[in-house]
Amino acid sequence: MAARSPVATTGYDWTFRRRPQRRVRRLGRLAAEHPLGVFGLVVLMGFVILGVLGPYIAPYDPRELRAGQPFAGPSLDHPFGTNNLGQDVFSRVIAGARISLVIASAAVFFGAGLGALLGMAAGYYGRWVDYLLQRSSEAFSAFPALVLYFLLIAAFGQSPKTIVFAIGISALFSGNRVLRGATMIEARSTYVEAARAMGCSETRIFLRHVVINVLPLTVVLMSGALGAAILAESALAFLGLGVEPGTPSWGIDMSGQNLSFARLGNWHIVVFPGIAISLVVLAANLFGDALRDIWDPRLRK
Amino acid sequence: MRQYALRRMLYLPLIIAVVSCLTFFTLRLPVSRDPVAYHSTQSTTVEQQEAIRKEFGLDKPVLQQFVTWLGEVARGDLGKTFRSNQPVWPEVQRRLPITFEILALALTFSTLIGVTFGVLSAVKQNSLIDYCARFFAVFGQSIPEFFLLVLLIVLPSIWWNYSPPVGGHVSIFEDPWENLRLYVPPAVVLGLGGAAAMMRLTRSTMLEVLRQDYVRTARAKGIAGHRVVLAHALRNSLIPIVTLLGSQVTVLFFGSVIFELIFSINGIGQFFFVSVTTLDFPVIQFLVLYSAIVVVVLHLLVDLSYAVIDPRVRYN
Repeated sequence: MAARSPVATTGYDWTFRRRPQRRVRRLGRLAAEHPLGVFGLVVLMGFVILGVLGPYIAPYDPRELRAGQPFAGPSLDHPFGTNNLGQDVFSRVIAGARISLVIASAAVFFGAGLGALLGMAAGYYGRWVDYLLQRSSEAFSAFPALVLYFLLIAAFGQSPKTIVFAIGISALFSGNRVLRGATMIEARSTYVEAARAMGCSETRIFLRHVVINVLPLTVVLMSGALGAAILAESALAFLGLGVEPGTPSWGIDMSGQNLSFARLGNWHIVVFPGIAISLVVLAANLFGDALRDIWDPRLRK
Repeated sequence: MRQYALRRMLYLPLIIAVVSCLTFFTLRLPVSRDPVAYHSTQSTTVEQQEAIRKEFGLDKPVLQQFVTWLGEVARGDLGKTFRSNQPVWPEVQRRLPITFEILALALTFSTLIGVTFGVLSAVKQNSLIDYCARFFAVFGQSIPEFFLLVLLIVLPSIWWNYSPPVGGHVSIFEDPWENLRLYVPPAVVLGLGGAAAMMRLTRSTMLEVLRQDYVRTARAKGIAGHRVVLAHALRNSLIPIVTLLGSQVTVLFFGSVIFELIFSINGIGQFFFVSVTTLDFPVIQFLVLYSAIVVVVLHLLVDLSYAVIDPRVRYN
């Protein structure tokens, strides 16, 4: 903080030149300390790129019938083989990245984000906001995740929107719980007391001191929730409760008919989408673990 | 402690009331799906639709429906299923033991494996066994259980041209051997995710406890190594382990549904799933309520077990 001089009028700002280098070096050190986290980030970015550029990378249209012989095993033309309709499994796995990541990240972003905001408000302002949130959090804890998903799907139909909503709600309450605790600790710390003694307004203390200090925790929380959200999304898709049948989705491609074909020896139809899910969840978990190690001081050794 | 338990039990009706309200009205919001529409085809006339609506009891105002339903449930009448017009409770009752057995097997397995390897890897920190256990724990938490179950039936069919039996339920009382042969492999697979979480938690808790002074004192007194670890250290690591155990039951609900659907087992999970897809309101309402009660009682048991594990715990 002291690096930015309030009277930087000399025209040549040294701090501006030095800081990026120091930051890059610090990032490099962090990366060296957490190789698994870097691996997770790289794989995750790879899947994001697949999700964004999927249609341009995939060798075939994921819905194209008879892109090859039906039930062809893995070959150079079809690295992951083809399914019963002759669709290219490799292209479908690539296309599945987009649906999975969009649903999971939308749920985590809205759910955990909103939960974090509410948690901060409850932790700092307390009173009725806190009371209301705690009571609804308690009522909510009586619903196991599955029961909540099933209830919402029964009420609002089997659509991606419902899935985002359902996964988002469970992320909301865990975000609320974590951030509430962290905010309460921050709000009672000495530096907040000092700021108050110096005459800072409550809003300023909340935004400039408390929020800034618990914000990294929100990122940690979101990255941790991402893996769980992808797992939940693919499990619901596997049950046939997510996106429409026929859509290239990892969960759907492993279920129903495809599973019976796999039992007859066409293992590649279900194994490759499964590996894709495992890999992206593994990456999200490793990245989340590394972020937590770096940013959560309570776990720092 | 008894007072605490009683006070907590007082919350139970309150939570049940909130949960039943939420469930009932979520299903009947103006934007919610209509079971009558599900049960009618293109050739169903408006009069027939009204008849179906009347038969389901959905023709009355929502509040009246709610009061009627509450009264019936309080008298032990859970209503009849929409799709087959059968009383709900016997349908649930005959499926309960199946799902209970799956949950119990998976939970037993995940706890045994998780705690054993957690303790081993904490005692032998940074050894080969520690690295292996941690490696598998990271994987176990990332691979979806449905993928593992799929692999369980697909891989043997490739390698040995053998498919594990799918479907059919044999009661454990009639033929225990056949029953376990059917259920143990999938239950083991189902428990792997839980075992991974349990292992990580046990390891980190044990590492913390093993560093404490009283462990060193115990060793200095000459108590055998395994006794120090099991009787002194593990005993004091039990609280987080039991807490995780409680929350794993609810996580396993999900796994149980997938397990029952893949292996065509007619348990509660499959019943719930079919009821959700066919909008069978009475079943959905009861199962949500039932699982809420199970969860609340489970949380209470976990809280009460703290005093048994650690006599210093006092409830206020």
